[in-house]
Amino acid sequence: MDVLGDLAGGFGAALSPENLLFAVIGVTLGTLVGVLPGIGPALTVALLLPLTYNFEPTGAFIMFAGIYYGGMYGGSTTSILLNTPGESASVVTTIEGFQMAKQGRGGAALATAAIGSFVAGTISTLAITFLAPPIAFLARAFQPADYFALMVLAFVSVTALIGRSLLRGMISLFLGLFIGLIGIDNLTGQARFTFGVPQLLNGLDVVVVAVGLFAVGEALYVASRLRHDREDIIPVKGRLLMNGDEFRRSWKPWLRGTALGFPIGALPAGGAEIPTFLSYTLEKRLNPRAPWGRGAIEGVAGPEAANNAAFSGVLVPLLTLGIPTSATAAILLVAFQIYNLQPGPLLFTNSPDLVWALIASLYIGNVMLLVLNLPLIRIWVKILAIPRALLYGAILVFATLGVYSLSNSLIDVFVMYLIGVAGFFMRRYDFPVGPMILGVILGPLMEAQFRRALQISEGDLSVFVTRPISLVILLFAAAALFLPYLPRLLGRGRRLTVGTGSED
Amino acid sequence: MDERGSGGAAEQESGSLLGPRLVAVFLVALAGLLLQQALQIGSTRGYSVVGPTTIPLVVAGVLLLLGVVLAVRCTLARTIDADLAARSSEEEIATHWPTVGIILGILVLYAVALNGFRLVGVVVPGLGYVLATGLFLPLTARVLGSRHLLRDAVIGFAIAIVVYLAFTRFLGVRLPSGVLDLVGL
Repeated sequence: MDVLGDLAGGFGAALSPENLLFAVIGVTLGTLVGVLPGIGPALTVALLLPLTYNFEPTGAFIMFAGIYYGGMYGGSTTSILLNTPGESASVVTTIEGFQMAKQGRGGAALATAAIGSFVAGTISTLAITFLAPPIAFLARAFQPADYFALMVLAFVSVTALIGRSLLRGMISLFLGLFIGLIGIDNLTGQARFTFGVPQLLNGLDVVVVAVGLFAVGEALYVASRLRHDREDIIPVKGRLLMNGDEFRRSWKPWLRGTALGFPIGALPAGGAEIPTFLSYTLEKRLNPRAPWGRGAIEGVAGPEAANNAAFSGVLVPLLTLGIPTSATAAILLVAFQIYNLQPGPLLFTNSPDLVWALIASLYIGNVMLLVLNLPLIRIWVKILAIPRALLYGAILVFATLGVYSLSNSLIDVFVMYLIGVAGFFMRRYDFPVGPMILGVILGPLMEAQFRRALQISEGDLSVFVTRPISLVILLFAAAALFLPYLPRLLGRGRRLTVGTGSED
Repeated sequence: MDERGSGGAAEQESGSLLGPRLVAVFLVALAGLLLQQALQIGSTRGYSVVGPTTIPLVVAGVLLLLGVVLAVRCTLARTIDADLAARSSEEEIATHWPTVGIILGILVLYAVALNGFRLVGVVVPGLGYVLATGLFLPLTARVLGSRHLLRDAVIGFAIAIVVYLAFTRFLGVRLPSGVLDLVGL
């Protein structure tokens, strides 16, 4: 097989001492930010973007992939020991995981999460290896109209399926689209939404928006509640490994979680939240005798595997179509753009070395993370003991550093603080921030494809519904938009929301 | 965060939705400004069929619509978003506004201290990265409730020095040296 040859070449590159070092740095950083509450992989990659101008792309992407995977491993620690999910995809893990920790079985919960993540990550990477090239090949037939439809689908699914309110998700998305429009129009040279400020002519740097929204917004939000909220860290007692019974109860949920997570993540309408909820519900139904609500290990094993598999699945549309379906994937897309690489069908033919080294590094990263997480878990847990006051102070220091070092501009820093204030209010009133970042990054691309499609069709809007590919995708988007309302339309109560997985 | 459900909605209806209402007003005002700005974009189409105004108009228009819907859902009794009302009143209780304000103030001072500034042609030099950061971290930690000023200051300066050396020596990123110039570091 051709794929195996390419993959072997990728391993050759990824196993070079330099790239192995990048991988180690990546997974360590990733685990660190995953464990720390409030900062995630999206923010970390955004902060590191300016630093990587000097690196060669392969090393940089191996490091980013490590951060991406490490963030997922580390995130489960916070959910289990602190009962605070680091991101929406680990909300479900807290339900049973925190109960297990309270009963002194935190070690087993962390172990099943780590091994489950390894199993899911490895199987998903295998799937990426063999699925991505043919998908990239098929995607060559895609026209601007189809890309426009795909981006609409990505927007709709991220907005409609995540968060508790479609209205608030849409507001977040359109604010992002507005920010994405700021600056000079590429096709006509007209200044748009610059309000006469010359510094805005080049648009807002994505790093400024992402760091403001994630880091400053989160820090201000935590600061506002610090006197009210109390967190208790549950010490990890007893053995760290699972016993035979726990292992027997875990391996099937791992596999089922992977089977749910990867395909859903790989759809251009991906996202990692839905598969975790599906996995939890499925395990509950399949194992009615497990102690649900009182620390059922199945409820940690399944969702954690699903979460990890979905995150890997998200790489498929990112690499083959250039369509990010999560905030972190959107930031990764920006990283590709910085290196003048265009993810999409041609990436596999134009930069095969980079792609295959990246995929090989996913295998290596998973092994590293298993090694890093199982024996060293006690060290990571110590990180949770960093005083909140210092932690959030340091986050603000690094946020300012990251944005200031872009171009030594005070204006950039102030714009970032301003966006941070917006992020604070968004958190306060439960507006999801993911759609906004996606809008900022994907909005300009969508406008470009929209205009290109209409140029080809000479202004005929029907091009979006007469091309079969684009029609089918748009129908999917419509379904994603209205599906959550189906139960209500059928007279069966409230909107089906992800994020309300209450336990009764 | 504790789930409050929609119980007691009557008592939450009036006061607690003030925040979301202000957000809605802000959104409508912003969208209005954007509409006005979008209409002023020159409509030279260049080489494209769709001009530069189309998408900005759509975005501003939809944002206006969404803002109005949010305003309605925060005001008209029958459409009240119970979820948002519960969230908003919980936040109302938990928020300590002075902390947020002070942190923002310190942040602005920090940025100015880093960079220095120019006032009517007079250049005021900044403190430089190490000094500004070394002071910022313990100050922020103090506001956030830390009671170990000395420890925080030591950590602040340690981070500042490590970052400064790593960025300027190894990564080739310029950071303001400020008063450290005088000591010749």
